[in-house]
Amino acid sequence: MGQSMLGLVQNETVKLLRRRRFLVVVLILAILIPIFTYAQYRSVVTAQERMGTSDWRPLLTQQIVDMQNRLASSRLPDEWRDFIKVRIQQQQYYLDHDINPMAPGGPTFARGFMDQAVSMFLPMIIVVLAVDLVSAEFSEGTIKLLLTRPVRRWKVLTSKYLTLLLFTSLTVLMTLILAYLMSGVVFGYSGWTLPILTGFEVTGGELETAGAFMIPQWQFLLLQYGLGWFVCVVVGTVTFMVSVLVRSAAAGMGIMMAALISGTILTQMASSWESSKYLFVVNLQLTDYLNGTLPPIKGMTLPFSLTVLTVWAIAALIVAYTVFIRRDVTS
Amino acid sequence: MTETVLSVKGLHKKIGGKPIIHNITFDVFAGEVFGFLGPNGAGKTTTIRMLVGLAAADGGEIHIGGISLQDQFPQAISQVGCIVENPELYKFMTGRENLEQFARMSGGITLERIDEIVRFVDLERAIDDKVKTYSLGMRQRLGIAQAMLHRPKILILDEPTNGLDPAGIREMRQFIRKLAEEEGLAVFISSHLLSEIEMMCDRVAIISKGKVISVGLVKELMEQFADQVDWTVQEASVPKAREVLKGHPAVTEVWEVGDGRLKCRMDVERVSDVNQTLVREGIPVLGIATKTVTLEDLFLTLTQGGGNRGTEHAGIGSK
Repeated sequence: MGQSMLGLVQNETVKLLRRRRFLVVVLILAILIPIFTYAQYRSVVTAQERMGTSDWRPLLTQQIVDMQNRLASSRLPDEWRDFIKVRIQQQQYYLDHDINPMAPGGPTFARGFMDQAVSMFLPMIIVVLAVDLVSAEFSEGTIKLLLTRPVRRWKVLTSKYLTLLLFTSLTVLMTLILAYLMSGVVFGYSGWTLPILTGFEVTGGELETAGAFMIPQWQFLLLQYGLGWFVCVVVGTVTFMVSVLVRSAAAGMGIMMAALISGTILTQMASSWESSKYLFVVNLQLTDYLNGTLPPIKGMTLPFSLTVLTVWAIAALIVAYTVFIRRDVTS
Repeated sequence: MTETVLSVKGLHKKIGGKPIIHNITFDVFAGEVFGFLGPNGAGKTTTIRMLVGLAAADGGEIHIGGISLQDQFPQAISQVGCIVENPELYKFMTGRENLEQFARMSGGITLERIDEIVRFVDLERAIDDKVKTYSLGMRQRLGIAQAMLHRPKILILDEPTNGLDPAGIREMRQFIRKLAEEEGLAVFISSHLLSEIEMMCDRVAIISKGKVISVGLVKELMEQFADQVDWTVQEASVPKAREVLKGHPAVTEVWEVGDGRLKCRMDVERVSDVNQTLVREGIPVLGIATKTVTLEDLFLTLTQGGGNRGTEHAGIGSK
């Protein structure tokens, strides 16, 4: 019985590439990143035109003033008030220490892109990769060929999961590479060593800058894309479970889209429903912890979110394996 | 000297709490084609799913080459090649890429073996085309190739001639006989067609409502249930007609029914031949009716315990 795991992963990789799933993912990235680059470029130009200067200091000062004005409004909800206060403190810190947080460049764009993409865009892309990994075998009937080989079922499923992890990692890597290379055409390729402020702690709505420190942007990117990778792995794992449970790719896609979108909605309105913080979709914005943005629900911290996501992933794997190993294959 | 390749003992299966398969027991030997005959819905495919590990049995034992399928799945299943229902393959890959997938899963299969099996099923010209361009017959052959790739001891085929045209059916039939006779494989075939089992199989298990109601040699079964022809002649010439029919090489058995009617078991294709002989002997034939034994008739007889085949009341021979 010479079926090595390597051979099984090779099989799954061939199938995934032949189904053109990864090609679709790369194409989506290659089309959307230039669009975002252009949008970013326009907003920089517009801001400069409005300010009549390309100097970033007045720009930052203006932002702080804008936010202070909003604070003065009595109609502002409490959670926004806290959030804006923290934001002002942070911008003030950049101004005081003469750091341009918006210095354009490929690495800076890649950083901003991950901030925007981590809770919705990247998870969606991972769903495209993972949603029919198992269900396609059932809907096409090829599962009968797969499970009548001298390989135990848990091994078959493991080979699929390892392949998913491999392509999830490649997707995150491709995101970084494409974001850097494509935005660099407009913004230039420098900025790897730009100091970035991190290490903020939020206690009771107050930003603690005491623990804050500066790291070069490349280190920050490493941390950020690492967290992004983790989010993608968790979303991929949950999608993997859905793919085992649901036979149609369309239904699986629908379930995952609904989950991700409701996550986005909940993070914006659930500060009063505290127990929603145990949902995995509310914990996807991991990179915000690096930036010192207030979490959507009080009491959420990086370790908390990592724990919630890990628990969800483990539970999803247990369900996926149990169902896949026990289930009778019928037509 | 005949090795038992597949042994099934007391197999049970419930689906949704309802018993579907009751106490199925049979053995399949090396070098024989074993038929699994039953109407649609009798539990054939459910049984096959259990034989190849796609569904778990709720009771009973399955041994392949003496190894328990339930306890040592990889070792047992490595001796099985199967096509369950249609030959589903990866349509977006070429035939060769499909075979390479299965080769990697079975282990120990060389590139030469892939070439060899492709020649064996006569797919050399199309093997590097995508499977979605294949005809049903070609897919069936590629299905056979994937089933044979790892040199199994037993081939399990679920309705192998389903959807094939007459030429394809004949080809498949010859192919299966060749596998058993020349390669010494055991071949297990399910079918709902009596004629198909008759032409292909050595032994047969008849299944109805999840139970095996008879296991035996196909030859013996067919002797009991061959096709019949009803002759109507003038009352007076019945004895002579009987003599003529008895003497004809195409006829195996004759009996009188009354009212000038004679029933005989014979080769239905030679009716006109026999008719000419009767006419030549001066016997006026008033009517001929051929009656084919259908599977339903067979089941009726077997399940109702009727063996009363010489009379009009027998459960066979009716249209």
